[in-house]
Amino acid sequence: MNKPKKTLFAEAMEQHKGIVFKIVNSYCQNRDERQDLAQEILTTMWLAYDNYDNEHKFSTWMYRIALNVAISYYRKDSKRVGRASEDEECLVHIADFSQQEERSEEVMLLYRFIGQLDTLNKAIMLLYLESEPYDSIAHSLGMSKTNVATRISRIKETLKKQFESQDV
Amino acid sequence: MNLDNFKETWQQQNSDTAAITINQTMLTDMKVNKQMKALNNMKWARIIEGVAFFAIIVLLGQYIATDFSLSAPTISAIVLTIFAIVGLAGNIGQIVLISKIDYAKPVSQLQKDIYRVCSHKLQLTKLLLMSVPFYLAYVFIGFDVLVGIDLFPHLEQHMIWIYSLSSLLLLGVTTTLLTKLHYDNIEISWVKNTIRVIVGERLVNMAQFINNIESTHR
Repeated sequence: MNKPKKTLFAEAMEQHKGIVFKIVNSYCQNRDERQDLAQEILTTMWLAYDNYDNEHKFSTWMYRIALNVAISYYRKDSKRVGRASEDEECLVHIADFSQQEERSEEVMLLYRFIGQLDTLNKAIMLLYLESEPYDSIAHSLGMSKTNVATRISRIKETLKKQFESQDV
Repeated sequence: MNLDNFKETWQQQNSDTAAITINQTMLTDMKVNKQMKALNNMKWARIIEGVAFFAIIVLLGQYIATDFSLSAPTISAIVLTIFAIVGLAGNIGQIVLISKIDYAKPVSQLQKDIYRVCSHKLQLTKLLLMSVPFYLAYVFIGFDVLVGIDLFPHLEQHMIWIYSLSSLLLLGVTTTLLTKLHYDNIEISWVKNTIRVIVGERLVNMAQFINNIESTHR
């Protein structure tokens, strides 16, 4: 018997919720913003789920929506910040990033590095770290493959220099 | 240290289920979210503006119909009707665009769509600017409606020349301004500042993002 839409979506979310975690931590500075953005990403995904085509990888579709929401959200004015967690029942709870001692030092450094990149390079970096092929990154972002390759190579170079200077 | 060495560690976060908890029942009960609400509000605003433009077209149409001649007020009314039709068409286009916003589109495409939706205020300002060289149209209709006088036959020849030249000059200035006010030119400081003043910082950031993503296509 076919599973209901809600169950299928809930299962997919449980399986891929790490993507939301990584995106909100890469695009937002504080916890309230992260919580608010995560809520927007999840609700947008739920509202768009009817149009999801099973032939495509769920994680790729999810990344595309999440990045689109994050990039649009990131530009909104700061007045929004904090509202979600203050006056709304929480739909999503994000663990406090600074309190997570078990997170490896490498990952923390990587988040710090991603945080310094511009909006577009952040998106490229996130997809690259998921081992998405260049074709797929280019398609998701609407760029040429050459452009993606050039940017990744520049990001790698910058990161290498940063790590060398920090002696990691 | 190579970036590729981080991939595995990075991907391991996907299985870190404690980092994020989702209230699935609440989520799947959602019918609308903040972005959808904002888009809906925009759609209603465009519908109201569209009705206003339509009312202007009807009123000007009635005005033209009552005295269909080659008089200055009638020609002025025709000119202003054209602007109102452009405004109405723009509003209809916006409503269609808003209903086609799809977050599953490639990032560059969606950001351009959002830019077009958010730049509506800029487009309206452009439309107003486009009508500036035709400022005499407002004057002629105003005199006719308020005082019942067709001003044009009372104007002296040199005044007509002065008004015509000033209109031509304004046409040149506004055409230059209008072609420059585009996201392609966002790095030009006066363009950036004008867009910031008219619409806000958000549109400037969007324009910079679109430019950034398009930069290597050129």
